[in-house]
Amino acid sequence: MDATAPCPLLNGRWVAYRWFTYKALERRRYDSLARHVAEEGQSVRAALKMGGLVLIGAGLGLVSALAMLNQGMNIGKETVQGWVGSHVSGDRTADPYTRALVARAGLLALTQAETLYFNRTTNEAGKPLRADCTYQLEGGPQPARWWSVTIYAADNYLPVNGDDAQSADATRMAALTKPQDLGRWKVRVSPQKGDATHWISSKNAGDYALTIRLYNPQDGARNDFRSIALPTIKTVSCPSVPA
Amino acid sequence: MKPMIKSLMIVLVTAVVIHLAVIFSAPNLLMAVAFRRLSAEGKMVNQMIHPPRTTQASRAIVRPSPDLAYSSCAYDLSRGPVRVKASRATDYMSVSVYAANSDNIFAINDRQAPDGVDLVIVGKGQAPPSGTALVVQSPTQRGIVLERRLAPSAEAFAEAELARKQDVCAPL
Repeated sequence: MDATAPCPLLNGRWVAYRWFTYKALERRRYDSLARHVAEEGQSVRAALKMGGLVLIGAGLGLVSALAMLNQGMNIGKETVQGWVGSHVSGDRTADPYTRALVARAGLLALTQAETLYFNRTTNEAGKPLRADCTYQLEGGPQPARWWSVTIYAADNYLPVNGDDAQSADATRMAALTKPQDLGRWKVRVSPQKGDATHWISSKNAGDYALTIRLYNPQDGARNDFRSIALPTIKTVSCPSVPA
Repeated sequence: MKPMIKSLMIVLVTAVVIHLAVIFSAPNLLMAVAFRRLSAEGKMVNQMIHPPRTTQASRAIVRPSPDLAYSSCAYDLSRGPVRVKASRATDYMSVSVYAANSDNIFAINDRQAPDGVDLVIVGKGQAPPSGTALVVQSPTQRGIVLERRLAPSAEAFAEAELARKQDVCAPL
């Protein structure tokens, strides 16, 4: 086009035409950009939502698994006179839950052929054992070569109280009992010793558990937990207001 | 409603997967922790260690008995079989072997071994040395040997301490 041609109208039309096409193009560009941004935003939101859901799921999975593991040994087991025993601890054929539980609360435990373990967390009425209460544990000879009763705090370790009174065992009980007792023995489980002959300290023990170990159990005991006369527990006193 | 169900499914599936992953890996993970603790962070592998009497401060392994003297050996078979010896005991004594998945793969007590325990742990594909009577096949390269000696009193513990001094856990 000749820029010097005296044709202002045509020139003006051309300018208007260019202006409109430019605007249209710009609008189109803007629209596509906006669409793009919107799509991007949507996918970011979707990804965030997905991540959030996965995170919630992972959290639930983790918390539920840890809750299972921290239940202690009281799951899927046989309860005998308030004591919970397992026929499968340390057994290779145990189900994944039992295996995980044993690993958590009884790692490096022995198999039944060697030792039976029974655990109790409740008193004679099925109420949780309380660290501030006084209980009497009473029993007789156990169908095993050697046995012991030990107190464990909720973290599966011995309670930290400086009392050095965490267990009773066959040898000490034999030394304490007289011939006329016929092997019957008594142990006090309480925060203070008082006048007890033998004492297991529950001071600072929190929600504790008592575990009896029967080393080299007799075949009958191993095959039928119900045949074992496990120690009994009796609540002697409890402070009316829990400490 | 539909996206809601989809969201719930995502949460549920993830929760189940993670839950099972934790449950299934717990024995191996907890054994790995025990291995680390009983080998002084990997510095004392293939040797018997004799910790002092169990007290309220004992935190290496859950549920320790204050009436037993424990000795342990974190074994590693990557350089060959490991020999374990435990001297004879006057009262209850046992040696048990645990694989890395927490399985108690072997146990023997003083009644079954009145003259003490002498065994060799071999890994997968390792030939047991000739002349050894007692061979324990470990399905995993690493694991833990735990020895228990009855020691309900300070005197009994001192006696066990004396006896276990001769115990061995070493590469063959």
